[in-house]
Amino acid sequence: MEPTPKRRPGELVFNIVIMLASFGLLYSAYGISGFEALSAPGAVPMATTAIMAVCAVLILRDTLRKDGDTTQTLATHILPLIVIVTIAMIAAYALLLRPLGFLPTSVLFLLVMVRFLSKRSLAFCLAVSVGTVLLIWIIFRLIFAVLMPQGIIPEGRIVSAITSLF
Amino acid sequence: MDILSNLLIPIVNLDLLMLIAVGTFAGIYVGAIPGLSVTMAVSILISFTFSWEVYPALALMIGIYMGGVYGGSRTAILLNIPGAPSAIATALDGFPMAQQGRAGEAIGIVTVVSFIGGFIGIFALGAFAPLLSDFAIGFQPRDFMLLAVMGILLVGSLSGDSLVKGIFAGALGIGVGAVGMDPLTIQDRFVFGIDELRGGISFVAVMIGLFGVSEALIQLHSIHTPAVRQKITGIIPSWSKVRKHLPLGLQTSTIGTIVGALPGTGGDIAALMAYDHAKRVTRKPEVPFGKGAIEGLVAPETANNAAVGGAFIPMLTLGIPGDAVTAIMIGALFIHGLNPGPMLMIEQPDMFWFIVSSLALANIFMLIFGLTGIRLFVRIVELPRTVLLPVIMVLSIVGAHAVNNSLTDVYWMLGFGVLGYFMRLYGYPLAPIILGVILSRLLDDNWRRAIISEREDFGAMMMGIFTSPLSLCLFLAVVMILITNSPWWTRWRARKAAE
Repeated sequence: MEPTPKRRPGELVFNIVIMLASFGLLYSAYGISGFEALSAPGAVPMATTAIMAVCAVLILRDTLRKDGDTTQTLATHILPLIVIVTIAMIAAYALLLRPLGFLPTSVLFLLVMVRFLSKRSLAFCLAVSVGTVLLIWIIFRLIFAVLMPQGIIPEGRIVSAITSLF
Repeated sequence: MDILSNLLIPIVNLDLLMLIAVGTFAGIYVGAIPGLSVTMAVSILISFTFSWEVYPALALMIGIYMGGVYGGSRTAILLNIPGAPSAIATALDGFPMAQQGRAGEAIGIVTVVSFIGGFIGIFALGAFAPLLSDFAIGFQPRDFMLLAVMGILLVGSLSGDSLVKGIFAGALGIGVGAVGMDPLTIQDRFVFGIDELRGGISFVAVMIGLFGVSEALIQLHSIHTPAVRQKITGIIPSWSKVRKHLPLGLQTSTIGTIVGALPGTGGDIAALMAYDHAKRVTRKPEVPFGKGAIEGLVAPETANNAAVGGAFIPMLTLGIPGDAVTAIMIGALFIHGLNPGPMLMIEQPDMFWFIVSSLALANIFMLIFGLTGIRLFVRIVELPRTVLLPVIMVLSIVGAHAVNNSLTDVYWMLGFGVLGYFMRLYGYPLAPIILGVILSRLLDDNWRRAIISEREDFGAMMMGIFTSPLSLCLFLAVVMILITNSPWWTRWRARKAAE
């Protein structure tokens, strides 16, 4: 018989959160239309959240049966600093996107991330981030016509100046 | 004649031809980068092409899909790291060949057999999908409901170790798909008083989060793994070698097409099943399996490329995606106002034949680029991921924002990215979530139609299922999936094997 896989750090907490969220959603689904009718708007949401809640309980039971993995730690195998910084950086990017605009926020994000991940020289990181953002901007803004927040750079005027050349 | 003119659409239109070529080229690149999946590429791409006409958007996505499935074999052979799940079996014999200095030979044969497998899958799509579509027109709402349940369960059971986690993920997806105003009664569902939720959660944001951001976060764990250089020689295989392995290739292509056509399965399952088949039918391989047997490359690579054509069969005829990529493509069709399902073949046959033709062209481009650009593609594994991953994150953010010009979608993308990251770490499959989101509406609508037509009588609906041969087959398939994935079944099988 195969040995039961070990419980990874944080797995128990994650599954408890999942279970509580499932029961919370089940309560919310009940609030849509209760047991009014089988074709009511809340019928499928109630069924799916009930399935989620039952599954979450079973998953939690299985997790509790596992032995803890002593070879892994939360800080190195689940949430290392590199992941936390990256998530925080994406969140900061999303928050700054509207006030600063796509071009400066993206350059700033890439500059910090490439420097943080590669530890290469500032000049290299700056060249990579400016070059990449320019390439993305040309492909997606000029060719694909994807609109991004303008922010502090008058992007619209730049685009119309470029398009007036052709 | 109509079929021919529809088939010619991407051939006579130079722009479409270029897009298929560019897509295939890019797909091979994406597939060759470990950790970057085709699903991720297509999910990011969908947001950039939603403002395009449907033909160019599909041409690009089809190219990426076909190229990506093939491209996954590159790193499987060169580094023993499958670029995509469908190349897992390829690594078993491909990497030993590379260790013996036969990487070029391995890549060459893989390219040719992928082309053969790809064409068999496309042929099956063109030949059988119209027949299945005619058959599917007679489906009742309860049949579509059962098909949707079957698709989610199959993905749940096949894409992870735990069926319970798969079912949880599928149910979560259906729940996410239900967020917003009910289409029939405009009643709020899971809105929690937040106005932004009334329009629902953009499934593009969910997809990019789950397949783009979470993958990038997982890749951070091994970001400093050094690149390995390989020498590539003797690429184009001899005709005698191809002919020798053709019978096996035809068998495994058939397996790949059938497995690919099952809702919820994909190239990865097809490749593993084909590899297993090759081991059983090849009596005397020149080199043992696992030590560099050519048969060990032929089987998975024909199967996973044949599965591409197969995966389009349920997608275009039933509206049920064959795998995660076709699930995303269904989303793309929805965005373009099309409704994949049995009526698509009747109302827009041009779309069907356009897809068939584009797949065939992508397959040809795959052969050309695969045999001529090997040295160029090998360079891709040397690209620093310290630069690549931040760029992917920027593309993910731009992609999530682009669909509705909404920052809310970016926050959803990040939320699902973080959730997906933890779910991956703790063994939850992600594909059922996306399948659930896509199929949520189909399931909900058809459940309500089915139960209303039986005047809210659940017993009468069950009786309808048991008295209709088709509904009964689908119902039994659902029950079988549940039983064969239960712990009791596993224990029973183990006891039987021990006896």
